[in-house]
Amino acid sequence: MSEAPAVLEVRGLEKHFGGLYALTGLDMEVRGREIVSVIGPNGAGKSTLFNTITGLYGPDGGDVRFEGQSIVGLKPSQITRLGISRTFQTVHLFPNMTVLENAMVGQHSRSRSGVLGAVLRLPSQRNEEERIRGKARESLSFFGPRLSGYRQEQPAFTLSYANRRRLEIARALATEPKLLLLDEPTAGMNPTETQELTDQIWRLRKDRGVTILVIEHDMRVVKGVSDRVIALDYGKKIAEGTYEEVAHDERVIEAYLGTKASA
Amino acid sequence: MTDVRSWIRVGIIAGFVTIFLALVGLIGRFVDLNLVGEQVTFARLVLIAAPLVAGYVVTRPRIQAGERRALAPRDAIVAGAVSGATAGFVFGIAVVAADAFGIDRIRSVFLNVSEPLIDFVTFGQPPVVGAVILTAVSAIAGGLAAGLRVTPIVARRPITTAVSTILVLGFLQRIIPIALDQLGLERDWLYSRSIGGLTWLGAIAVGAAAAGLSVLNARKGRELRARLFSAGEEKTGVAPAQLVLVLVLVAVLVAVPWVVGEVISQVLGTVLIYVLLGIGLNIVVGYAGLLDLGYVFFFAVGAYSTALLTGAALNTFTGSGPPAVSLDLNFYLAIPIVLLIAAGAGLLIGAPVLRLRGDYLALVTLGLGEMVTVLIRSPWLVPLVGGPNGMRGVSDAAIAGFGFRETQHFYYLALGFVLLAVFVSWRLSASRIGRAWTAMREDEQTAEAMGVNTTRFKLLAFAMGGAIGSLGGSMFAVQIGSLTPASFEVQVSILVLGLVILGGLGSLPGVVVGSLVLVGLPGLLREFEEYRGLAYGAALVAVMILRPQGLVPNVRRSRELQEEERAQDEWAQEKEVEVAAVEGMAT
Repeated sequence: MSEAPAVLEVRGLEKHFGGLYALTGLDMEVRGREIVSVIGPNGAGKSTLFNTITGLYGPDGGDVRFEGQSIVGLKPSQITRLGISRTFQTVHLFPNMTVLENAMVGQHSRSRSGVLGAVLRLPSQRNEEERIRGKARESLSFFGPRLSGYRQEQPAFTLSYANRRRLEIARALATEPKLLLLDEPTAGMNPTETQELTDQIWRLRKDRGVTILVIEHDMRVVKGVSDRVIALDYGKKIAEGTYEEVAHDERVIEAYLGTKASA
Repeated sequence: MTDVRSWIRVGIIAGFVTIFLALVGLIGRFVDLNLVGEQVTFARLVLIAAPLVAGYVVTRPRIQAGERRALAPRDAIVAGAVSGATAGFVFGIAVVAADAFGIDRIRSVFLNVSEPLIDFVTFGQPPVVGAVILTAVSAIAGGLAAGLRVTPIVARRPITTAVSTILVLGFLQRIIPIALDQLGLERDWLYSRSIGGLTWLGAIAVGAAAAGLSVLNARKGRELRARLFSAGEEKTGVAPAQLVLVLVLVAVLVAVPWVVGEVISQVLGTVLIYVLLGIGLNIVVGYAGLLDLGYVFFFAVGAYSTALLTGAALNTFTGSGPPAVSLDLNFYLAIPIVLLIAAGAGLLIGAPVLRLRGDYLALVTLGLGEMVTVLIRSPWLVPLVGGPNGMRGVSDAAIAGFGFRETQHFYYLALGFVLLAVFVSWRLSASRIGRAWTAMREDEQTAEAMGVNTTRFKLLAFAMGGAIGSLGGSMFAVQIGSLTPASFEVQVSILVLGLVILGGLGSLPGVVVGSLVLVGLPGLLREFEEYRGLAYGAALVAVMILRPQGLVPNVRRSRELQEEERAQDEWAQEKEVEVAAVEGMAT
């Protein structure tokens, strides 16, 4: 693997909820155009890691650097503007906005027209609105016919579960991210859909050059997409390496299955 | 049999409703308010209203085993009559009891109970006979309502249209005759000068016309509308009929104050002020989803800053003192400054509540709104705003000597600003900003994660909402020319929120309809002034039960309201599938 510069660097990250230590001194990094999977049993701190990176939670210690710049203390919207976008473990769409409008919200931080532009419908505002619409359509088109045509004008809540997940990814793409965080993207999908999404995650990097950090429970997906796998348990990194290495790591097996005859 | 029990139960409730209506005076005080001839009076209508509703309610179609089953006509009429009779009987017993107990003793608590009231509800007979008649009359009313329910729609629709048109015209007896006079039309055939209400001839004519239109609408309505509104659409995108409609609307809006006369123009001016307030609050509550109970703040800011900037004087015991601020700006120069001040005030209100949501936000804004009254009353600000004495001599916004204080002129000024506010609000809602507000309303955290700076957009909502609301305050200052703190109480906040909700959150036409209903109607029906609170409460309860999305809903907002129900349905369905699966495994 060529040593591209690290896009995301996490150093000694701490996050506590009262007496619960969700992240304890976590170190990790993601290089440009890499696809890294984060695995670990429930409660290992995977989603907390995502929430801390994207600014939803403020860390209790340590540093998160994106393209060399510390992003600790920035608001989520500022972090999105810098080029990190995400999907959520439980789908968080804007259910009563149309599919297209959902994706258009993703373009928010890439546009700027204000009150005056909106009220007077200045040419610059109209052009921008066209551009937003175009970008949103383009993001939706990543999923081919799944999110195209009449569907774009329907409210998001009418979508099937798998399509809601796809729309979340499309909306995240509409923010034009350099780093995309996917939180269990295939949860609730059937095997065919899962396979399709696995291919699409590959294509995201190939076509768009997006760096991807993905939390996934389905080991076939993890095997299918990852350049590198990081295993977490109790807020710590317990293993790191290729899928094969991590899958056979004793501590990982122990974290998932418990120690042999120790009880 | 359970059916009979439910008829009687509804009837008993209706009986108590009638007792309540009698106690608050809605019967006794309106014995002489004629709606049609001298026979249909408001008091008689109130007397049979509850039995009518009861008869209509108990005959609603039942859902049985997934099927909608209407009652057979005969059963329905029996049900309605039983329910109505129960209502009349309950009220009759109350009347007999009241008479036995002593009217004067009751009156010491319930001021509206009087000999004439008892006389009226017993039809001039001894109480027991009166109670029997009441039961009979109520039974007939209940039966009639039930009969209407089972009448085929072809006949039912014209009947209800005719009756409701007649009643509405009967209620508007103070307004329509004036309008007819102003237009130089003959009115005596329609409204009687001596008794006040519609004449029987007029009522029959109006009813027949309404029924006729209803039939026409049912038969040919769709066809006619299609023909009117589609012609020429390929070429210009605007059907000629639509253009005509807009022109007619404009003509009506322009002509209205001269047709309806001064009294109603005054009411309409007030309605327009509340429309401005409603449009502003709608941005905060309807678009951005921030529940603000202190909106009177902006009303006061608009009114007082307009007064100060245009050189209003302080009220003193000896008359009028010096102007507090000797700027004496032209009204139209002052307005932009007022808007800026109000937007600034919006930021001021918004900043401390940024982290609050829902109930907490509502409570804090309620407190902040209350502060404004305290401030303008405080001795500390007397040199600026005159304290409890207030100010006088606000500009009349004259353009080249043409003043807008006069009610019929004021209407145009307010209308102008309303149109401006509607335009701004509409453009905002259909832009990137509106989209950000909607996203924030639907899911604040996700909106933030998708790049919407929610802090900024909340503040923007408060600032824009505040600025538009302050225009309402400016208009108010111009309309009455003097200000006192009494006009800026918490009731204003509640009323504006009420009209926004009644009309439908997030809906501009809703704001207009809401203002007409909650501000216009009470202004027009002065006789019912005292019952404003009662009607207001009843209207809100009714809307929340029957039409929670508002009278003229915004499509998206109404979906949000239904979301919870849908989630429950989904859950129930999943359970059903699970149960089916388990049962499948068992067999």
